[in-house]
Amino acid sequence: MQITFWGVRGSYPVPGAATVRYGGQTSCVEARTASGECVIVDAGTGMRQLGNKLAREAAGRPGQYHVLLSHVHWDHIQGLPFFSPAYIPGTRISVYALLTAADELNQVIGGITRHEFFPMPLEAVPAVFDFHQVEPGVDFVIGRFHIIPIALNHPFGSVGYRIDADGSSWAYVADTAPFDKVLHKQHFLSGPEPLSADDVTALTAMREALVTRLKGVDTVVYDTHFLPEEYARFPHYGHSTPDQAIDICREAGVRRVVLYHHAPAHSDDQMDRIAAEYLAKGAAVGIEVLTSFEGMTLPIGPEEGTQK
Amino acid sequence: MKVRFWGVRGSFAMSGREFLRYGGNTTSIEIVTAAGKRLLVDLGTGATELAKQLMSSEFGKGQGTLPILLTHTHLDHIQGLPFFTPFFIKGNEIQIKGANPSSGLSLEATLQNQLAPHYSPLNGLENLAAGVSIESFTAGQTITVPGYEVVTAAVPHGSMWTTAFRIMADNKVLAILTDVEYPTPDDPLPEAIALAQNADLLIHDAMHADHDYELRRGWGHSPARAGVVVAERSGAKKLALFHHSPDATDDMIDEMVAQTAERTSVPVFAAAEGAYLEV
Repeated sequence: MQITFWGVRGSYPVPGAATVRYGGQTSCVEARTASGECVIVDAGTGMRQLGNKLAREAAGRPGQYHVLLSHVHWDHIQGLPFFSPAYIPGTRISVYALLTAADELNQVIGGITRHEFFPMPLEAVPAVFDFHQVEPGVDFVIGRFHIIPIALNHPFGSVGYRIDADGSSWAYVADTAPFDKVLHKQHFLSGPEPLSADDVTALTAMREALVTRLKGVDTVVYDTHFLPEEYARFPHYGHSTPDQAIDICREAGVRRVVLYHHAPAHSDDQMDRIAAEYLAKGAAVGIEVLTSFEGMTLPIGPEEGTQK
Repeated sequence: MKVRFWGVRGSFAMSGREFLRYGGNTTSIEIVTAAGKRLLVDLGTGATELAKQLMSSEFGKGQGTLPILLTHTHLDHIQGLPFFTPFFIKGNEIQIKGANPSSGLSLEATLQNQLAPHYSPLNGLENLAAGVSIESFTAGQTITVPGYEVVTAAVPHGSMWTTAFRIMADNKVLAILTDVEYPTPDDPLPEAIALAQNADLLIHDAMHADHDYELRRGWGHSPARAGVVVAERSGAKKLALFHHSPDATDDMIDEMVAQTAERTSVPVFAAAEGAYLEV
């Protein structure tokens, strides 16, 4: 199995000279088995470029695509209306996500293409969409992929995914805050709120479940939007730091962590410094820390050439 | 009157080396009068860059006032709203003005939908710390913005309508006609020509190079030549091609400008992110 990063940025796309090397597009990762099967994780603006590649490969033929969503904030769904295979008649797109409150996912996804926002409503798009609810801890199979959703700590709820295929395993852990200061629920936070005893219990359980699910995983892609000093100012924004990612992954015995969901304000030069600093910090505790950039492809696990 | 393009790209923000000279941010245009009165048109991703500059002025202290005009609410014209930092500072006063979308939903309800809890942790306009007012107008009205007189007109954009603006200040006229497709691009609607009458600068939708247009007819955008016809018939003094296609690299835009300039004696350039231009 291998994964390719099509969008590594958080919050909103940031074009310009300061982001050409790491990339300015928002969350989207493609996982592919050795046999060529594919799942897409998150549908941020990076999905447009992935869609253009997949449409070229399809050469006009309809296909079946699977999209796992961590949650439905704009930076994770904005690429969907620009996914060119959706405009090939006969194409089927299966979307997997955590349903929240009483809303149906199709209404939420349909809502991004309503008249005020986009020229073509979801019903008029040639591809057929089907929607699947995921539940943390309830695993499912897509072709050769075995997938377990993992509850994360983010406003209105979010899930990560552990994805196993070809005898190897990676996990997508975004978006999430750490599991100590703030428990995100379904209301607006203007700052951290005092935690109840139940909140602390819920956070502890969420953290333990995450560590348990990450055991035996080769590579973890983690929301590391913030540097520690930025996190200290915005602990209620729902994002983590590389230090917090390393802590969790070290506890789970993960081999490699990939920094992901970069803050829009982090320029390429700053990303170089972050990459170097955390490569060293990771090495000190026995974890390889890589920093994702647009276009990066990583082989996952034992089928990697060096092992043979 | 000065104008600065913070975002010139249509539909989709494009990052990458091929888009550096003209810029990859979606639409946002800042206008400043000689007396320092500021006006913003559209809140695409380009507005987030302007926001950084504003935060180092009175907006960072919660003492800023800013009127914002929206051409329409397609996402590429509003996607910077949740990240426009002056909204997060108490004391700033920001007025958003636009026509109600043709679906019948109000402008305010549309922007509330953008910030609905599924889509944004802001969870609604009421959580923006600044004083924010949302005012709908009927396109065709003349509206008052401190320091400016603004004439509006409804123009067709595929299945919906967008608002075109004739913005007057300092005895200069700036016309903005973006996200527009005329039934016949070579014979633009009279209301567009009236709006641009004798404009010192006409900013016009040029999503498609002329040779790309036929395949994309009906998508709601103009070929570059439509702006030329509007400029010539209205007596506009200068034409800025705007709302560049996400597929158009810098080199392709250069080529579009060269081809367009051959058709007309009106000075033509392609809008690019960057410096303040004197209108």
